[in-house]
Amino acid sequence: MSPIIRQRGEEFTLPSKYLLFILTILCTALIVITFNTNLFTGPLNSFAGVFVVPFQKGITICSSYIKETTDKLASITQLLDENERLKSQIDELTIANTNLEQEKYELTELRELYELDSKYSDYPKTGARIIAKDAGNWYYSFVIDKGSDDGIAIDMNVIAGAGLVGRVIDVGPDWAKVQSIIADNSAVSGMVLSSSDNLIVTGDLELYRSGYISFSKLVDDADKVSIGDKIVTSNISDKYLPGILIGYISTLEDDSNNLTKSGTLSPAVDFEHMNEVLVILQVKNNGGN
Amino acid sequence: MNIRRILVNFIFIIVSFILQTTLFRALDFGGIAPNVLMIMTSSTAFIKGDKAGLLTGFFCGLLVDIFFGTYLGFFALIYMYIGFIVGKLHIIFFSQNVAIPIMVITISDFVFGFVCYILMFLFRTKFNIGYYMQTVIIPEVVYTAIVAIFIYPIILKVNNIIDEKEQRSAKKFV
Repeated sequence: MSPIIRQRGEEFTLPSKYLLFILTILCTALIVITFNTNLFTGPLNSFAGVFVVPFQKGITICSSYIKETTDKLASITQLLDENERLKSQIDELTIANTNLEQEKYELTELRELYELDSKYSDYPKTGARIIAKDAGNWYYSFVIDKGSDDGIAIDMNVIAGAGLVGRVIDVGPDWAKVQSIIADNSAVSGMVLSSSDNLIVTGDLELYRSGYISFSKLVDDADKVSIGDKIVTSNISDKYLPGILIGYISTLEDDSNNLTKSGTLSPAVDFEHMNEVLVILQVKNNGGN
Repeated sequence: MNIRRILVNFIFIIVSFILQTTLFRALDFGGIAPNVLMIMTSSTAFIKGDKAGLLTGFFCGLLVDIFFGTYLGFFALIYMYIGFIVGKLHIIFFSQNVAIPIMVITISDFVFGFVCYILMFLFRTKFNIGYYMQTVIIPEVVYTAIVAIFIYPIILKVNNIIDEKEQRSAKKFV
């Protein structure tokens, strides 16, 4: 190295401990700022949209394709058996279906009578594909491939199949981050469908491995709630639209205060094998805004 | 640090983040994916020293924060300090031997998991540390160590190539 260049280089080097100190202050400032405002989300989210999301999309499509093909090959024999079984089941179900058709007709009649038309199947929805899952193993959030360009906004509810998955907590131009209800840091206000008793559903990492989420603060003086009851999102929730299925009660016990009950419920959605979700393009109206 | 090294490190960080959130999520064992970003941070710190380590850690953490963090800067802080501390070992050990860096990566991932547990769970009065050790921290550490055996040599090799090129271009000046 020539002495001139080296000297110039040394002039500009910042000792690492000062750099560490500066960046620590920067990080702390960022934490405080993001805790109170959402100042930075715009530019950083578009950065992520340019550099990371396209690759995530590509890789997820490839890897899910590979996984699907291997799964397909592995399960052919199993499927043949299942096919036989299902064919016989079809007959049974057709009969059941005709019965249900009749009941549905009755239901629509009654609904019209009561003007109860805000069932969640009527909300405008859009399908989205999951392209990335949480980088750590602690919480369970994921990224979908649609964002504000497709009309998605923060706090929109996300469902898959029949049940609630979570809600959008961050949105970029062509991606959105979804926090699921099984994540340890999430809580949903729910309601038992049969008795309209309110409760709080909280995700729990300890229970999540065994496929359950916990609920608490269920006030049930009349002992009407029982195992197997449906739990849906409540009318009083800030973020979630009412009447979306969360899951079914699997255990139920009295709290030590003898006033409330708590327990576990099995979610209606299979979070392990979830590839596509539906986003409800409507935010809960809280009256205030 | 010249422009080439910055560019290569930037690409490395982005690639490891993308792999961690997509490919390794598909290849998880019992819902546990390895922490490739920690491998990236620790190896860079081990090979190039504390300054490179803390910068790599900062950007790795920032990327996690942008996508999955609740508060911007939280993971950046943790990754940065781990990168800085590991970088202090750069003067003590040789980076050519594979065994010691893998040990260092394993320990740093364990520390990362433990700090995450304390900050995100213990502070919310979830005291069942044995459970979290068994189901999250230890599996992640083991998986990360196995993945690191394959990734560390690649990072080392790329760094050596850049070093050589840097020296060559420095010689040209003389």
